Amino acid sequence: MSNTVLVCDDAIFMRTMIGDILTQAGFEIVGEAESGLQAVQKYRDLKPDLVTMDIVMPDMGGIEAVREICKQDPDAKILMCSAMGQQALVVEAIQAGAKDFVVKPFQPSRVLEAVQRVLG
Amino acid sequence: MADPKYAALFLAESREHLRSCNALLLEWEQTPGASEPVNGLFRAIHNIKGMAATLGYAAVADLAHRAENVLDAVRSKRAAGTPELIQLLFRSVDALEKAVEGAQSGKGEPSATLLAALDKAAGPAGERLEKPAASNPPTGAQPGAAGAPGGAAPRLPARGPAGHLVGVTIRSGTPMRGARALLALRRVEALGKITALRPTAVAIEREDFDGRFSFHLRTGAEPAVIEAALRSAGDVERVAFDADVSVEAEGPVVAARQIRIDLHRLDTMMKLVGELVVARNRMLELMRGGDSELVELGGGISRLVSDLQSQVVAARMTPVSEVFDRFPRLVRDLGRDLGKQIRFEMEGGSIELDRSILDELGDPLLHLIRNAADHGLESAADREAAGKPPEGRILLSAVRERRTVAIRVSDDGRGIDRAAVLAKAKRDGLADPAAEMLTDDLLLRVLARPGFSTARQVSGISGRGVGVEVAFARARALGGSLEVQTETGRGTTFTLRVPLTLAIVRALLAQAGDERYAVPLAYVAETVEFDPQAVTTLRAREAVVVRDRVIPTVHLRDLVAAKADSLPPRRPTIILEVGERRTALVVDGLLGQQDIVIEPFDAPRGLPPYLGGATILADGAPALILDAAALV
Repeated sequence: MSNTVLVCDDAIFMRTMIGDILTQAGFEIVGEAESGLQAVQKYRDLKPDLVTMDIVMPDMGGIEAVREICKQDPDAKILMCSAMGQQALVVEAIQAGAKDFVVKPFQPSRVLEAVQRVLG
Repeated sequence: MADPKYAALFLAESREHLRSCNALLLEWEQTPGASEPVNGLFRAIHNIKGMAATLGYAAVADLAHRAENVLDAVRSKRAAGTPELIQLLFRSVDALEKAVEGAQSGKGEPSATLLAALDKAAGPAGERLEKPAASNPPTGAQPGAAGAPGGAAPRLPARGPAGHLVGVTIRSGTPMRGARALLALRRVEALGKITALRPTAVAIEREDFDGRFSFHLRTGAEPAVIEAALRSAGDVERVAFDADVSVEAEGPVVAARQIRIDLHRLDTMMKLVGELVVARNRMLELMRGGDSELVELGGGISRLVSDLQSQVVAARMTPVSEVFDRFPRLVRDLGRDLGKQIRFEMEGGSIELDRSILDELGDPLLHLIRNAADHGLESAADREAAGKPPEGRILLSAVRERRTVAIRVSDDGRGIDRAAVLAKAKRDGLADPAAEMLTDDLLLRVLARPGFSTARQVSGISGRGVGVEVAFARARALGGSLEVQTETGRGTTFTLRVPLTLAIVRALLAQAGDERYAVPLAYVAETVEFDPQAVTTLRAREAVVVRDRVIPTVHLRDLVAAKADSLPPRRPTIILEVGERRTALVVDGLLGQQDIVIEPFDAPRGLPPYLGGATILADGAPALILDAAALV
């Protein structure tokens, strides 16, 4: 059975792109979230194997969402999606429990590498 | 392993570590309970051990290892930082210094007594850090190890169950290396406790590092397991363990942005820039009145050359602490040897000087400080009898004064016995038999006379001469000066004044007769018009009054015996200033300022002392450089 993924990003463009990369690699996108709040709710409902999480989102940002999700499930496998220049936020996310990160603009190979590491 | 590049790096790095060892030991001695000095010492010695083991310097590695055992015993409270133990470590650092210097030739092995003392201080063998692999007889009985054919380096083994020193390199070009490093650290955190992280976590998170970091992991895990954990974080290029951990990764964060440059290379650059400056000056001279575009281009090139010059000079600037830092240890030892209580203080360590000048200052300062400790300061009993605190004070300070740096060695001791020196000076025919007072100037001249030091009959100052002679000669050779101020019962101050940089200096060009002379601006206080009305006499010498100050005059014409043309109607006067002393140098004319490259005379025999070298001026003609210090 393929691994299930919850994609969290407020931009449709980014959700589509990540979705495509992962679908082509054989993952199953089970849900999408446009805000941190939605991400927390959907994680509870969908129990995905992996979460990709944008850092800056409305209604609870990505870092806060990581914190909430890890509170529910300390083993949650969350991959942060960050823009360049957000290192401090990435550091914060890692401290909050995120397992790895990729930096935009995404290179499919790097995204998949990171996903493998997180699921590894 | 015999790669000379590594041997040189080992030497340079080890010397740095040993210097910090001395500083840390002094700090520890002051605050015996503190843990930072112990940790710092451990790191420094551990680094030396790692490098030595890698290069196969068994004697160094062995000694470092034993010293490390002692420090580990202190860290884990199995031994106390008693004065005896600290003294033992001082001796070990000395021995380590010898071993490091002699490592390549297999010389400088530590004495068996020292090794035994270290082992004793480290406590029962079972509790020590694991022994070096070779576990050779104490004195590391393989002097040839370094050069042995195929010389397999006796790697120090991993520190057993205690854990590992781990060095990690994040692949360059990786985005957010700081966050990546943090991920790697979190992966190994699952295996044990991370300590001694270098650079600090904060620096890593800010990506204030070059992708390399190191830490100690207290764990029972095998290196392979640790490495796998690190690599699972992604983008880990290299993982090294224990002796293989490169020391650079342990250095301060800023070190990541620095490189070591062979001093010769800087010297060559300086020389080339010097020639460029002269060529530039010549070019500007030729361009004068030429095509306006050409003049503009010339101006542009000129600015670039100036920038380049100041960058090269800046690259050579080194804080005086490089030399100062060796003295606290010296004074401590002197105090012990002489049975005196000495408080040694330093100020202005961050003042910078040209490396080549700084390198010349160690010796003279050593002599001056030794003199201050030995002859300047009284015994505690004498001090108390004189109503002074029993602890004598020596202050080593550096102050930037215009384009020179004044380095002072002051003591609060007895002062120099002027009467005794004056009597001696009269006997030697140095002073006017009728003289009643010895000026600081004459005092210095007497003290700096080569033979003076042997004058044992002059109590209280015997031996001073040697150091003063060295300092005096060195200061002059560097285009600087030495001054002395002394007050009976209050102390003595020697001021060693040197220019900021050698090689290229800004100079004022003066004319006397047909010749041109360069006067380094560092010593020019101002220029005024010579006013015959203001001429007076000072101690039977011609002097001139400038702003209510009587300044002795020197006429450049007379000095250099210029052809006696008729005197120009207006004669400019250059007021030279060296420390407190001034001289008015009367010249025929001033020809502006120029950057000049000082070419020292090769064998300055028979040359008048007021000449400090020669230079080529912008128009291609040679000119002599006047040594201001000799004129005032």
